[in-house]
Amino acid sequence: MKVVCDRASLLEAINLVSGVVATRTPRPQLTCVKLTAAKEGKGGTLTLTATDAEISLRLRVDNVDVEQPGETLIPADKLRQIISAEDNEPTLTLEASGDTVDIRGEDAHFKVYGHPPEEFPAVAEFKAAVSGSGGNPPAKAVFKHPAKSLSEVIARTIFATARENTRYAINGVLLSRDGKKLEMVATDGRRLALCRATLTEKDGPSVKCIIPTKALTLLQRLLGSAQGDVDIAITDNQIFFNISQGESGADESAVLASNLVEGAFPPYEDVIPKDNDKMVHVDRDVLFSAVRRAALLTNEESRGVRLSFTGQDNRLDLSSRAPEMGEANIQVDLTDYKGEDVSIGFNPGFITDALKVISDPDVIIELKKENKPGLIRSGDDFVYVVMPVTLQ
Amino acid sequence: MQQAVPQPSSDAPGPPPPGDRRIRRLRTLLVNQIAAGEVVERPASVVKELLENALDAGATRVRIEIESGGIELVRVTDDGVGMGKDDLPLAVAPHATSKIETATDLDRIATFGFRGEALASIASVSRMSIRSRTASEPGGWQLDIEGDVVGAVRPASGAVGTSVAARNLFFNTPARRKFLRTVGTERTRCIDVVRACAMSHAAVAFEALVDGKSVLDVPPGQSPRDRALAILGKELESEMIEVRADRYDDARGLSLWGLVGKPSTARATARAQHLFINGRAIKDRTVQHAVGEAFRGLIEPGRYPTAVVMLELSPEGVDVNVHPQKTEVRFRDQSMVHSVVLRAVREALAREDLTPSLGGRLDGSGRGQRPGSATEILPGGVGGGVAGGADVGTRGFVDFFKRAIPERAQHRLSYDAVREAIERVERAGTEPAEQGAAQTGTPRAEVPDAGRGFESSAEAQRADAGAAALPAPVPAHRVLQVHNSYLVTQDEHGVVIVDQHALHERVMFEILYARVSEGVLESQQLLTPAVVEATPERIERLGELAALLAKIGIVAEPMGPRTVGVRSFATLLFERGVDPVEFMQELLDKADRERFVPDSEEALREVLDMMACKAAVKAGDRMSDDELRALLELRGEVERSSNCPHGRPTSVRLTISELERLFGRS
Ligand SMILES: Nc1ncnc2c1ncn2[C@@H]1O[C@H](COP(=O)(O)OP(=O)(O)O)[C@@H](O)[C@H]1O
Ligand SMILES: [Mg+2]
Repeated sequence: MKVVCDRASLLEAINLVSGVVATRTPRPQLTCVKLTAAKEGKGGTLTLTATDAEISLRLRVDNVDVEQPGETLIPADKLRQIISAEDNEPTLTLEASGDTVDIRGEDAHFKVYGHPPEEFPAVAEFKAAVSGSGGNPPAKAVFKHPAKSLSEVIARTIFATARENTRYAINGVLLSRDGKKLEMVATDGRRLALCRATLTEKDGPSVKCIIPTKALTLLQRLLGSAQGDVDIAITDNQIFFNISQGESGADESAVLASNLVEGAFPPYEDVIPKDNDKMVHVDRDVLFSAVRRAALLTNEESRGVRLSFTGQDNRLDLSSRAPEMGEANIQVDLTDYKGEDVSIGFNPGFITDALKVISDPDVIIELKKENKPGLIRSGDDFVYVVMPVTLQ
Repeated sequence: MQQAVPQPSSDAPGPPPPGDRRIRRLRTLLVNQIAAGEVVERPASVVKELLENALDAGATRVRIEIESGGIELVRVTDDGVGMGKDDLPLAVAPHATSKIETATDLDRIATFGFRGEALASIASVSRMSIRSRTASEPGGWQLDIEGDVVGAVRPASGAVGTSVAARNLFFNTPARRKFLRTVGTERTRCIDVVRACAMSHAAVAFEALVDGKSVLDVPPGQSPRDRALAILGKELESEMIEVRADRYDDARGLSLWGLVGKPSTARATARAQHLFINGRAIKDRTVQHAVGEAFRGLIEPGRYPTAVVMLELSPEGVDVNVHPQKTEVRFRDQSMVHSVVLRAVREALAREDLTPSLGGRLDGSGRGQRPGSATEILPGGVGGGVAGGADVGTRGFVDFFKRAIPERAQHRLSYDAVREAIERVERAGTEPAEQGAAQTGTPRAEVPDAGRGFESSAEAQRADAGAAALPAPVPAHRVLQVHNSYLVTQDEHGVVIVDQHALHERVMFEILYARVSEGVLESQQLLTPAVVEATPERIERLGELAALLAKIGIVAEPMGPRTVGVRSFATLLFERGVDPVEFMQELLDKADRERFVPDSEEALREVLDMMACKAAVKAGDRMSDDELRALLELRGEVERSSNCPHGRPTSVRLTISELERLFGRS
């Protein structure tokens, strides 16, 4: 294998791929990235593949000068460090012979010891996942969705996942497709975020699966620059995202595959309250600022901020109190508070988390009473349930 | 029954003919010897009985002579009230006592002796000689007894007081003599008795000669602290913390004074624990347990802190008549005694800086003399009454009266003397309190917090000459995290190395404990209950624990025959990434295994211990500079932060003088 390629494109690719390389593994092969050079017409491509056994990522770098097609296995961190350090070289030459890779720039020559490429685990291709291969049945569901919208739905839910919780299915985000309806739901047991989008295709089987947070974080990075549609294929235990560079068409310029999280997601429909009778519209930025200021006088043990809505004054008072620290009181004028007075405690971080991903300035708060879940809505797409805290 | 009949032996009268089963009066000697079996087990029991008689007689000086482990000779000489000519034969007659007249008196025993059988018993198994003189007589008298041969009382010379000698113990009962251990062992036991006795009678001078060598020589009129230290060993001075009940509650009728050793003085056996009730050395599991409980978390389980605990109870509050040698007692209100001891010791520990010195750990010696801190000033620390509340002053004053002034009547009626002293103090108001303060230095209660830091740094300078060059006090301004596990910083004494998890755990515990005593912990509701699997027995325990759980912000209830649902969980634990299911499982497990008493202080502390441990940073966690500083700042604020709840130290210190020694600069 011998290729000459643009250093900047290569760096971008290796940075993305490094995110899935296994770090602590007894198999050194898994700390490597696989390079595959192929001739395509007059040009050529170099594909970088990495996996950590849970997630795999295949990224194609186009416009590569392939002098000799082939493949090789090279430690990902060394490759990344070299590409990143050779920062005054416009191009780099990578040449593999046997198990070593020579990387050459204008004034530099690195010889890096790698591994035979056959020792790298097989990573399924998108097409193969769709049609089924190697004894695997065809995908249960295949559909596509605009990259931009998908990215937004992920951003509006992923923040609510449990961070260190290894026990639960809630360590991932639920994806549900039902006809034209695409829903993603995330929760950490104390709040729940749900975001909806409408698919262009209305036919197809209903499907529900839980995607690990890490895979979605990587996906978000891949979606950052993507324009067109993303193809999604869901099998029994994996999900595949095919992000096309240009038009959708499964050209596999970037394919992310991830194992699904096994287990049951909490019955989220049941926890979204339907009878919250106290409703108010607030400006997103006004509420954000008020909550953030009230949160200044909270600490680990006294996290809660009390939100008191009074109908007569049409006012929201936010107050907090931390022992040995002090108290805060913030007032917000409301325009349309309906319902009886209510006072309820929340973790302020849970509220600001949601406000950060809401783009519409009009936010709706719905409450019932002190010890019942609160609801924050934005448009028809975003529903957020927050459980109250019992203040001292 | 057959076996219980005493077998004939050389010292007994001729055996009754076989088949002769008439009931007969036992000969007096035999009666006494049987009684002696209860009272006089070994030479140490003789020492104890004779010492107690001397103290009962109001002695201010007592001299003890012991030869060959007390087997050859035990002689106790006192300067007490003495006995007249006619008293002497009575003293050795069984059931003759001057200390009790009616059966109702049995309930109010304030003196040591009360059965009137000690002298008779000892006389029956030894060659005894008593010499005594009262103050009203110009000369004294002597009486010799050998077995059942009581000699005639004859005149003798000597000072006012009594001297009782018991020689050749068990000379006439070889069977008993066989049960004695080696001379060395018996000697140690005798000395232990003397030490215990001397410790609880700080006002009385003791001199002990063992085989002609002085093993103890303490002056009269010492403070309880000085006396205890004189006996424990001066080197423990800086290691002992003074303990007193925080309040004298007349209705409770209990007062407490003591010294407890810092965790480093803990030993594998309870021998270093000296417990006294009304001046009587006792073994008592209630008190011992309370002391251990107060040290929970400070020392490893299974070790015993060095401790001197002296309790004064009204005679009605304690039954000493449960054990022939009176080494065990029964409290009328055992849980009250337990809680008073526990709280007093715990509070004393809480006031201390318990950071062990690294040097001390390395070579087990070389601690600088630590000049008396405020807690060490008492019993004169009466001045607490000025700022620290009248009861503190009263307590100090009581001790002052009780311990420092040799007072004959006190031994007979110690409880009344206490009561009297209190009344005197109460009548006098704060005036004598201030006087007390002037005598003894500034009581702690008057020293504002800021001043305390200064005071202690000044102390440190006096203690470690090398530290004089160090500006005082040094704020902990630079902190180094080593291997993501230890924090290294400095204080006014030198270098401090902190175990981050242990310290944080300790800090967490104290914060939680403070919060819980004010109210309940903030609690976060869950969307759906977190499901915990549990056995039916554990689910049953859940109901009992509900109140405790509510306190710490947990609401959990049974969901099915084998599942528990956690509906609400402490915000703090969530913030610290603690998983509700794991926590609940562990808590139920612990509650079951350790048989939590619902609503007990102990159970609460156990649970808070667990919370603190889970919530604390772990070894290996990287901490930001701000976090490091915040943690170390809390260190100062949190009581007894030097040991984490599991008994490991949270920090060790390398003092400047230790550093100088290590570098060969001194
Ligand atoms: N050291 C002593 N000084 C004065 N009196 C003594 C002394 N030892 C014993 N006695 C007298 O002898 C009595 C009997 O002593 P003892 O047999 O020990 O019985 P108890 O101490 O139970 O009264 C005491 O009650 C006391 O009157
Ligand atoms: Mg006696």
